[in-house]
Amino acid sequence: MTLLKMDGITKVFPGVRANDRVTFDLAPGEIHALVGENGAGKTTLMKILYGLYRPDSGTVSIRDEAITIKNPRDAIARGIGMVHQHFMLVPPFTVLENIILGRESQTAGVLRLEEPAREIAEIMRRNGLPVDLAARVEDLPVGLQQRVEILKLLYRGAEILVFDEPSAVLTPQEVVELFKTFRMMRDQGKGLIFISHKLDEVLEIADRITVIRRGQVVRTLASREATKPLIAELMVGKPVFLHVEKAPASPGKVVLEARQLRQRSERGNLVLDGLSLEVRAGEIYGLAGVEGNGQSELVHAITESARLEAGDIFLEGRSISQWDVRTRRDRGIGHIPEDRHRYGLLLPFSLAENLVLGQHHRRPFVRGSVVDSGRVRQYARESIEKFDIRTPNELTPAHALSGGNQQKVIVAREMRFDPILLVAAQPTRGVDVGATEFIYQQLIAARERGKAVLLVSADLDEILSLSDRIGVIFKGKIIREFRQEEATKERVGLCMTGEKQSA
Amino acid sequence: MFSPILGVLAAIVVLLLIAMVIGEMPGKTLDGIYRFTLANASRLATIFSMAIPLFLAGLAVAMAFQANVFNIGVEGQYFIGGLVGAVAGIYLRLPAYLHLPVVVLASMTGGALWAAIPALLKVRMGIHEVISTIMFNNIAAALVNFLVNGPLSGRGEKSLEPQTLKIQPTALFGKLNHWFNALGLKVPRHIYLDYSLIVAIVMGFLVWFLLYRMRQGFEIRAVGTSLEVSQYAGIRVKRVQLTAFLASGALAGLVGLQEIFAIRGVYTFEIAAGLGFDGIAIALIGGNSPIGVIFSSVLFAFLKQAGYGLQLYTAVPNAIIYVISGLMILFIVVINEVTTRYIRALRRKEAA
Amino acid sequence: MFLATLTDFAFRGLEMSAPIAFCALGAVFCEKSGVVNIALEGFLSVTAFTVVWGSIAYHSVWMGLVFAVLSGVLMSLIHAVATVTFRVNQIVSGVALNTLAVGVGRFLSQKAFAQETQSAANSYLFPTVLHINSFAFALIPIVAICWFVLYKTVFGLRLRTVGENPEAADTLGINVHSLRYVGVIMSGVMCGLAAMVLYPSKWVNGMTGGRGYIALAALIFGRWHPVYAVLAALLFGYADTFRIMFESRIPIPSQFVQMLPYVLAIVVLVAVRGKSRAPAADGIPYEPGE
Repeated sequence: MTLLKMDGITKVFPGVRANDRVTFDLAPGEIHALVGENGAGKTTLMKILYGLYRPDSGTVSIRDEAITIKNPRDAIARGIGMVHQHFMLVPPFTVLENIILGRESQTAGVLRLEEPAREIAEIMRRNGLPVDLAARVEDLPVGLQQRVEILKLLYRGAEILVFDEPSAVLTPQEVVELFKTFRMMRDQGKGLIFISHKLDEVLEIADRITVIRRGQVVRTLASREATKPLIAELMVGKPVFLHVEKAPASPGKVVLEARQLRQRSERGNLVLDGLSLEVRAGEIYGLAGVEGNGQSELVHAITESARLEAGDIFLEGRSISQWDVRTRRDRGIGHIPEDRHRYGLLLPFSLAENLVLGQHHRRPFVRGSVVDSGRVRQYARESIEKFDIRTPNELTPAHALSGGNQQKVIVAREMRFDPILLVAAQPTRGVDVGATEFIYQQLIAARERGKAVLLVSADLDEILSLSDRIGVIFKGKIIREFRQEEATKERVGLCMTGEKQSA
Repeated sequence: MFSPILGVLAAIVVLLLIAMVIGEMPGKTLDGIYRFTLANASRLATIFSMAIPLFLAGLAVAMAFQANVFNIGVEGQYFIGGLVGAVAGIYLRLPAYLHLPVVVLASMTGGALWAAIPALLKVRMGIHEVISTIMFNNIAAALVNFLVNGPLSGRGEKSLEPQTLKIQPTALFGKLNHWFNALGLKVPRHIYLDYSLIVAIVMGFLVWFLLYRMRQGFEIRAVGTSLEVSQYAGIRVKRVQLTAFLASGALAGLVGLQEIFAIRGVYTFEIAAGLGFDGIAIALIGGNSPIGVIFSSVLFAFLKQAGYGLQLYTAVPNAIIYVISGLMILFIVVINEVTTRYIRALRRKEAA
Repeated sequence: MFLATLTDFAFRGLEMSAPIAFCALGAVFCEKSGVVNIALEGFLSVTAFTVVWGSIAYHSVWMGLVFAVLSGVLMSLIHAVATVTFRVNQIVSGVALNTLAVGVGRFLSQKAFAQETQSAANSYLFPTVLHINSFAFALIPIVAICWFVLYKTVFGLRLRTVGENPEAADTLGINVHSLRYVGVIMSGVMCGLAAMVLYPSKWVNGMTGGRGYIALAALIFGRWHPVYAVLAALLFGYADTFRIMFESRIPIPSQFVQMLPYVLAIVVLVAVRGKSRAPAADGIPYEPGE
C-alpha cells in the first residue's frame, strides 16, 4: 500500500508550467527526498499537497483513496504536516503552548495542560525529540525550535511529514540530531518527504530520491543507486543558451574588496564566515549559490551597513564601514535591490521622481535646495528612451508599470548614476523575457564601460552567461572561484552543494 | 481622488438621517444650515474668518503626516507658540514693520520648541509621538495657566479673566476688510479678515513649495511613503522626520495669531481650545496636502457655522458637528482603503 | 489622625485609579489581539455620559451600567469594523473616534438634559463604602478574572496568538478576525466599567481629563500585562490623589502640580523605552492569504 500518491499533477501559472504531469509516491516507513533547482517546482508540488494550491489536473491519493485537499486545515486533518522554512511559532509562548495551539484540551474553556503534556512526552520519547515543554520558544536554539514544529505535527497525528529545506538553518550537530529523529519517525511507519539542495544529506538519509527539473520529474531512483555527480547532472540538465555576446574581459584595478567578513544573525548563527572576494573594474563577478548561504547579508553589508563581527569592506582601497547609505551612493556604489517593491521604488511617485531617487539631492536635479523639475523630467525622458521603458510618459506613477518595466526603471536609474560598483541582486527575478535580455545587455554595457559589477543570482544560467568570474558562496564564505572558461553548469552546480572539487 | 467628496456626501446623508430621527425633515435641516452659512455676506465672511486658524492648524498636522509623523500636539504647540509671540508683542519695542514679522517668528519658534521634545523622544528613543504629544498638550495648558496667572499677568487690567498685559499697538494685526470692500466684496466691519490671512496664505504657499518643489520636501514625502525605500535611497530618515515634526510645530504656533493679535490684543487664559484636534480632522479630510487643507478648513468652518445654525433654527444640537466630522474621516479612510485594495487586486490579476 | 489620613488616601486613591485601570485592562485585551486603540479617551467620554443618562432615565444604577457597557461596545465596534474588516490605519481610526466621541456626549446631553456641557444630577449610584464609590472595589476581582482569562483559558491563548503571529494562527485554523473583534470590543466593555467609577453622579463635558491617554501610558509601563498595567494605573491614580489631597501643602504653584500625571507619564515612557515590547503584530492590519 502506498501512503501517498500524487499522480499526473499539473499546475500552470500565467507564463510558467510549475508542475507538468508530476507523479510522485511515498511508502509508509520511507524517507523520500525531492531535489531540484530553485524554481524547479518542488515547492509548488508541496503547496498542492498542503492545500495551499489546487492542481489543474491530476489526483492525490492517501492510502489508495483519492482525495481533494481544500486548505491547510484539511491537510492537517488528513494527517499531512509541513515544517516550513520559516517557522510558524509564537516566540514568547512556551513550547507546550505552541504545540497545543489550535488543538487545546479544555474544561469549559479553561486550559488543561497535564494531559497534553503527558501525551506529548510520549510522542517525544517515541520519536526521539526531547524538548523542555516549559521553555519559551524564543529562548531556544533553532534546532530545538524546529523540533517544536515537528511535535506540533505529530501531536495532530501527522503520518505524512514534509520538510522544506530543514537543514538550512541548522548547525551540523543539529542536523545529526534531526536525522536521528527522521529515522525514528520512519521506523514508526510514517512517511517523510524531504526537500533539499544538500546532496550529501540527501544521499545520507533518503531511501529514494526524486529529481525535478522545470516542472517535470526527471527520475526517481533508490538512493543506493545514486551518486552526487549523477544527481547534480539530473538537476541541471543541459545548459541553456542565453544569447549573450560579449568581448573577452580585460579587468582593471580592484574596485571592491571584501576581506574576511564575519557576521552573526540575531539567533547567533554565523551568516558570514570569513568571506573574502574581489571585484575588478570592467568585470562581472557572479555570486553563485543556493539562497540562504549569506548572499543577502553580503549585499546588505556592501550597500547599507552591517554589524560585522570581523573583517572590512573596501571601495577602491578605502574602508566603507563608517559610511552611511548616502555616502556609499555618492561615492559610487549602485544597487539593484532584490525586492523591488519593498526597496527599490516609491510606487505612488512618478517615474521621473523614481528615476532620480538616490541622487535627487545633487546638481543638476537640485539648485540649492530647490528641485529643478524641468531638468528632472528631461533626464527622465532620456532615461525612458535609452532604456526602452514602456510608459505613457515620465509622470506616470510607478505602480502603473508592469513588473518588467519597473525593474527597467531601477536598472536605468542605477546605471545612469554611473556608479563605479554596481551590485545587482536577482536583477531579473519576476521579469519577462524581453526585459530580461535588455537588462543583461545593460549589465554587459556597464562592464564595457569599465564598471565593476557584482551579480548575485539564484539563476545559474544567468550567472554562467554573464560572469567573467564566478564565486560560489556556501555557508557564508566563497569556497571556490571559477573563471568563465572553466565554468560548466555541472561543476558550478555541484560546487554550490558544498563540493569543492579539484580544479 | 474621489474619496473625500464621497466621504463628505456620506457624512451629510448621515447628518440628515440623524436630524430625521430627532424629528427634523431634511428640508428644514438644510434650511437651518443655509441660513447660518450661505444666506448673506456676513455669514459667509464669518466662515472664511474662522477658516484661517483652522487652515493653519490643518496645515501643521498635514506637514507632519506627510512624513508619517502623528503630531497630535498642535494644541499645546499653539498655546505655547501664541504665548511666546504675545510676549514678543508685549515686551519688545519695535516699529510695526519689524514688530509684526518678529511676532510671527516668535510664535513659530515657540511652537517648534514645544514640539522639539516629543520629536527628540521619538527620533532618539523611539517613543511613540501620539502619547507624548498628548501629554505635552496637557502640560502646556497647565504651564500657560501658570504663566498667565503669575509672572506674565497683566495686573491692573480691568478684566475678569486672567490675561497678560496688552500687546503693543505696533504688533497688533489690523483688518483687511477695506481691501476686500475695495475689490467689491462686502465684508462687514465686525468680521475678522485680518493680517493672519496674509500669514496663512504665505505659509500655505511656503509649505506647498517646500513639499513639492524642494529637495527636503521630496524627502519628507518619500519617508512618509516608505521608510525602507527611503533608507535604500540614502535618505536620512530620522533627520527628515525630525525636520517635519519641528516644521509642524512651528506652523502650529501660528494658529493663535488671529485670536491673540487681531481679536483680543492680549493673551488670555481663555484662548480658544480644540483647534488642535480640529486640525487633525482637517488634515485627514484634506488628504494631507496644502490644497486639500484649504478646502477642508473652509469645509470645517462651514460645518461649525452650520452647527450654530442647526442649534438656532432646528432641534439638532450643535455638537452634531463633531459626530459628523468624525464620521467623515472614517468614511474617507475606509473608502480610500477599499479602492486601493481593489485597484491592487486588479493589477495583480493583470500582472500575473 | 495620621492613620485616618492614610486610610483615606488609600481608598480615594483606589477610586481615582479605577477608571484608568479599567481602561488599561480594556487596552490590554485590544492590543494583545493586535489592534492599537488610542480612542479610549473617546470611549470613556461616551460611556461617562451614558451611565448618568441610563441611571436617571431608568431610575437604576444597574441600567446605567448596562447602557455604559452597551455604548462602549458600540463605539468599539466602529473601531473594529474600520480596523479589522477594512484594515484602515488604526491610529487614524482612533483619531476619528475621539473626534466623534466629543460630539456624541454633548449631543446626547443637549437632547436629554437640555444642556450641552453637563447633565442633570444623578442620584442613582452605587452605595458609598468607606467614602468612595463601591464599584471601585470591583477592580480587584475583575483584574484577577482578566488575568485568568488571558493566561489560563483557550480563548486567552488564542487571543494572544493572534496579536503575536496571526499567520501562524491562521495556519492552525484560528479565526484571526473574530478574535480581534472580541479584543477590540473588550476595550469598549472595560471603558463602560470605567465610567461606573468615574463620577457617575453627574456628567460634565471634558470630565475624562485625559484618563484614556494615561491608560495607554499605563499599558506601556505595564508591558501589556493585565496585572502590571493595573499597577501602573494605580501609580498614576495615587499620584493624582496625592496631588488633590495635599495640593495646598505643597510649596510649588498649583499648575505645576496639575502637570504631575502627564509628566509622570512621559517619565514612565522614557524609563521603559526599548524594554517594553508590544505584541509583535500590534498595529499591523492582517491580510489573510498570501
